[in-house]
Formats: sequence, C-alpha cells, structure tokens
Amino acid sequence: MKWIPQDVETYSNAKEYVDTAVVPLYSVTVGGGIKQSAAAAEFITLLTTYLEKQFTGRILLFPPFTYLENEQSERVVTDLQNWEVNIFEAGFKHVFYITSDLEWRGREAQLEGSVIWLPSIPLEHMNDPQKLTMIDSQVKQLLTLFTQKWHENE
Amino acid sequence: MSKDRVSRRQFLSYTLTGVGGFMAAGILMPMVRFAVDPVLKAEAAGEFVATKQKVADLTNEPVRVDFTYKQKDAWYESDVTESAWVYKDDAGKIVALSPVCKHLGCTVNWNSDKEHPEQFFCPCHYGRYTKDGTNVPGTPPLAPLDVYPFKEKDGYLYLGKAKPRKEA
Repeated sequence: MKWIPQDVETYSNAKEYVDTAVVPLYSVTVGGGIKQSAAAAEFITLLTTYLEKQFTGRILLFPPFTYLENEQSERVVTDLQNWEVNIFEAGFKHVFYITSDLEWRGREAQLEGSVIWLPSIPLEHMNDPQKLTMIDSQVKQLLTLFTQKWHENE
Repeated sequence: MSKDRVSRRQFLSYTLTGVGGFMAAGILMPMVRFAVDPVLKAEAAGEFVATKQKVADLTNEPVRVDFTYKQKDAWYESDVTESAWVYKDDAGKIVALSPVCKHLGCTVNWNSDKEHPEQFFCPCHYGRYTKDGTNVPGTPPLAPLDVYPFKEKDGYLYLGKAKPRKEA
C-alpha cells in the first residue's frame, strides 16, 4: 500500500494482513554529488513503487527517510531508530530499508529492520521499456528476499 | 434601386434576429457539448490497448503480457504498465486474467508455489486461484480474478479494462 489516504485507510481496516513496512532511505547532497544523489533517488523511487505493486497487500510503503549526506552518522542512525520504534509500536513485524547509500551497510547492526542495499543504476539514458525490464529483474530478486524473511517468522 | 425597398424597421429586425441568433448559438453550443460529454466518455472507457503478444503464439500455459497506457493523476500524466496472465483454454478460447489478487491487491504469479502447482499463487497471504481464475476456498481471496475483455487485431492481442466476475 502506498502512502496515500485511500491505501492508508485500507491498511487501517486490514492491519492484521499488513505486517511489513518498507522505508526508502535517500541521501541528499547539494554540492558536487548532486546528480548522483538525484539519480539514486530516481532509482530507489522506481524500485520501491514497483515492489509495492507486487506486494500491495502486505507492505506499507512509507515516505522516504531523507537525510543530508554530510550529516553526522550517529545522528542519522538515531533518527532512523526513532522511526523504527514508532513503526514497530504501530504493529508492524518486519521493516525493510531500501537504499543505494553504501554507508548503511556499516550501520545495519544498529538497526532491527533489514537493510537492502542496491547499487544505483543510472536510468537517464534508458527508455521506458528498458527501465521496466531492468527494475523488474531487480525486484524479482527482492521478492525472494521478502518471502524468505516472511517464512522465517512463521 | 430595387422595387421593394427594405424599410428601416425591416432592416433592423433582420439584423437583430441575425445577431441574436449567433449569440444564442454561442451560449447554447457549449451547454449542449457539456450535456453530451458523459455519453462520449463512456465510449472512451471501452478502449482497447495493444500488447506485444501475438495471438498465434499463445498456448495453454499462462504467459505474462505487459501493456502500457497513459493515466492522468491530477495534472500529472504518466505511463502505467499493467500485466495480464493470458492463455488458451481447452476449447482454444483466449483467457486473459488480471494479476491483481482480490484479497488486498498483490500481484499473483502462475505456478510459483511448489506445493500447489498449476495454480495462481499470491505470495502475500498464500491465496490461490485455479487456472480459470477461481479462488480456492479456504485461502484468503473471496472472489475470482478479474477478466480482461480482449480483441484480436492484425494478429496481436488487444486488452480492455479488467472486469470483476460474479462470486464463485
């Protein structure tokens, strides 16, 4: 389900079925890396949208957690831990973070949810069908990851 | 000068009728267009979208057919890609099913559950449908999969808007 009123309402009525939160993590730079920052955001947006389409009934796609790239690492982690506490309190059993910021691999131990790191693929020179097949193949790998995680806890 | 001269009175009444007629038409025509609009819309809803799938290539094994159409979201127009599971049934008739699970809207896959082969399987809450799209009792979905109306044109498959079926 997406972060829009209709979907959130469905979520409220079917909480027992929606047990997974997906939070995209965006790192923002305004300086030299601005283009990579935007490309990564586009990639993660497309990917999470497509993922949501596959698993509409079991995941709630949160608005992205956005932070400055040059922000202190501890502060970013504390902020996200705060999100995590709130998400688990709301009744979610699984949390997935989807990012293309390499920093999060080192921070995963400090989080309860699973960090999924994907190298950002530049989409700007692709046409729509190419984008679709590319995202499709990426999401296929994620699907198995999600179903595995769900099976573990059953 | 012609014999029957147009009097001032006649001239004025002709002019007024003419100009008034134009003005009335200018007001009425948009109104008529608005009134007729819903009728024209209904035609557009029945539009069929072309797919890349050749009808001759279809077998009795369901294949995923993707198709794209434009959707307007407030002021933002975007291409939406949807899929269908398409196969030919035993009688050779084409069946195009929507992949959207009737439970909470996940995407169902064909033959992806090892314990229940030859069925549509929803990975979210393990809902299942038989090949004709009927929901398997005892699994979460309460209705059969939606069906796409289809057309064949120049050998290619065209799909319309998915329609729900009566409850099984």
